[in-house]
Amino acid sequence: MFELQKGLSVQEKLHILADAAKYDVACTSSGVDRKGGKGMLGNARACGICHSFAADGRCISLLKILMTNHCVYDCKYCINRVSNDVQRAAFTPEEICELTVEFYKRNYIEGLFLSSGVLRNPTYTMEKMCETLALLRNQYHFNGYIHVKTIPGASDELLAKAGCLADRISINLELPTEESLKELAPNKSFQTIINPMAKVSNTIAENRIALGKNAHMERSFGNRYLRGSIFNDENMKSLEGKKENTGMIGQTDARSGLKALDLTNDRELGIYGASDHIRPFAPAGQSTQMIIGASGESDYTLLQTTQRLYQSFDLKRVFYSAYIPINEDSALPSLDTAPPLLREHRLYQADWLLRFYGFQADELLSEEKPDFNVQIDPKCDWALRHLDIFPIEVQTASYDMILRVPGIGPRSAKRIMQARRYGSLSYEGLKKMGVVLKRAHYFITCGGHMMFKTPIEEKYIMRQLIGAHSKENWQITHTEQYHQMSLFDDFGVS
Amino acid sequence: MILAFREYIIQHLCCVWMFYEKWDMMKIFTCKNRFEDMMTCIYDAWEYALVYGHENVSLIREPVVQLSFMDEYIHIEPDADKVKKVVRSIIKSISYEAYMDVYYAALSADDTLDDIYRFLNVGFRMGPALTRMLTEPVVIRMMEHRRKVGNEIHYWREFTRFNAIENKVYVAHIEPKCDVIYMVAGHFADRMTSEHFMIIDENRKYAVMHPADGEMYLTDLSDSEMNVLKKTEEYADEYRVLWDVFFHTIGIRQRENAKCQRNMFPVWMRKHAVEFMEKK
Ligand code: SF4
Repeated sequence: MFELQKGLSVQEKLHILADAAKYDVACTSSGVDRKGGKGMLGNARACGICHSFAADGRCISLLKILMTNHCVYDCKYCINRVSNDVQRAAFTPEEICELTVEFYKRNYIEGLFLSSGVLRNPTYTMEKMCETLALLRNQYHFNGYIHVKTIPGASDELLAKAGCLADRISINLELPTEESLKELAPNKSFQTIINPMAKVSNTIAENRIALGKNAHMERSFGNRYLRGSIFNDENMKSLEGKKENTGMIGQTDARSGLKALDLTNDRELGIYGASDHIRPFAPAGQSTQMIIGASGESDYTLLQTTQRLYQSFDLKRVFYSAYIPINEDSALPSLDTAPPLLREHRLYQADWLLRFYGFQADELLSEEKPDFNVQIDPKCDWALRHLDIFPIEVQTASYDMILRVPGIGPRSAKRIMQARRYGSLSYEGLKKMGVVLKRAHYFITCGGHMMFKTPIEEKYIMRQLIGAHSKENWQITHTEQYHQMSLFDDFGVS
Repeated sequence: MILAFREYIIQHLCCVWMFYEKWDMMKIFTCKNRFEDMMTCIYDAWEYALVYGHENVSLIREPVVQLSFMDEYIHIEPDADKVKKVVRSIIKSISYEAYMDVYYAALSADDTLDDIYRFLNVGFRMGPALTRMLTEPVVIRMMEHRRKVGNEIHYWREFTRFNAIENKVYVAHIEPKCDVIYMVAGHFADRMTSEHFMIIDENRKYAVMHPADGEMYLTDLSDSEMNVLKKTEEYADEYRVLWDVFFHTIGIRQRENAKCQRNMFPVWMRKHAVEFMEKK
């Protein structure tokens, strides 16, 4: 089965290997700014650029393909597992480079997202992937965005090489606990995922310091004003100290136990930039993905894992992918199970609350209340459980508090802070600044009075808010209106 | 006596006329829809307003749709010196940020000229604080204009598609609402520095040309040139086919969602996007 199929055209291969890659969600191109220049092709923009939107409404930013869908592993949830009878194909490095460069010049894509099934063994696969990326960077002079998904079990040298060539590196956790991983991905282990994740994380930090930057990844500007932010130095540190929970990320003792990767022989690997300056190591950081709904974990477990991943490994993003049943297996939900899109949406909302709003996982969920409310979003839910602190006065409240009001996002919060220095606010003005009054008005006063005479009473507001949410929820569950990007509108983050 | 009466009537009429002119008649400055013209228009209107008051001038971008009999219209032609003066004083007396607001607003598809004028009016009084004064309605309006134009520029960075002519020249056709091809091309000049490319504004009939390793520039296009260029979209190009295959493979059937797709990639922008064009 290692024989590559002969005689497939590039078009046929593209069809097979894009189809096999489509379940990976991390198709963003953000997180790094890099200028272009003479004699090379491409640059990178930190804001990220989508190029098209597929029929499922998800953004297409990168040429997302597998190098090959041959795989010797047998992960139960995966279409490419060895026990499946599917058509197999493999690209040559040149084919991948040509496709990337030609697509890029036509402005179809922002770069390449290269992943792969395990061909022979992890090391061989990773070698092939690095060979492709080196060719793309050094022969084709491609300076655009590259995201590489590493293969669990590949050697440190290859991991180092991949990170030097790519902008973002990801190792998919796929399942949030050791038990589920054992159950559903028998060839992988928690250690083969967490160890490289920790090494990559340490290498990024070391490399950033060497380049004169702060060790931690850049985060949304507002975080520095948020006492509760998970990215605050104190919060990051305090987590490194405690390793209570079992079977979870904190346990691996990431920072102290694992060394960073050795980048010293990279010069021989030919992965220095043209002007001999060091190419930064994975400048757009590290990300991971978890599948939602293939195993039995609660939202609380998923969110705690997410927070730990951010804090222990300084991941740039954690992605969620609603499980789509493709394989018949007793360990998995049956084939007619609908993908849990609303749950995925709630998790993304909560993820944004962690990254932009200064919330912590424990504030949103608990052992007693381990799953999100399906009817209203996590922020409204939190506010309803804390009615004793509302309403707050927008003219005087702190940035922290303003940001916690449902219907106010970082952008409108910033505008409020600016505007109130020069004059007094009005409901009309708040609306113009992007505040969604439909949600916010239960929780604020402006110039001392509320917009309407509403009782500050949980049941009443809950009923009203559910009314405001029901259309949106219906649309998500009926796959009419789902997209991760809609978060930009919900939360007003730019 | 009769003569005196005549004099009196005439004098009186003059008074009424002057009164009329002073209180009811607006002076309306109009100009073409180009940055230079608009800045000159602002300069001239301002000069007039120093004598007659800002409340008695109004600025409209041509074509003027509804003429009013009560008002007087003057068409303004661009003048490079005045443009320089206006731009310089915005940057000096207000801020660079305010200048960017003005620049973006001037590219808008909507008539933003009067808003720009009022914005500067407040700005020259308030100085650098202007762009942070979000309790001023005109400041919010300008922020909206900038956001709108900025969004459209970003959209075209995403959705512009180049056709390769013999793998040497890359040609894109777009139909933007706002006048943004130059701003859009700036993005590509950085990422494709060593390629020849051009971006054509189909409606305004002009293009940005970017020679490989050279400086880009704007050029008007004649109808016959437009016709020749139109053909570039029909060029056989294997990568167009491959892109189409990729595009139609990468969506997940179980999550299909045309409405969301429409929200994210508006239909009016799809006209020249390969993946949405009808197959020949
Ligand atoms: S390693 Fe597992 S998840 Fe990856 S391609 Fe192979 S079977 Fe699929």
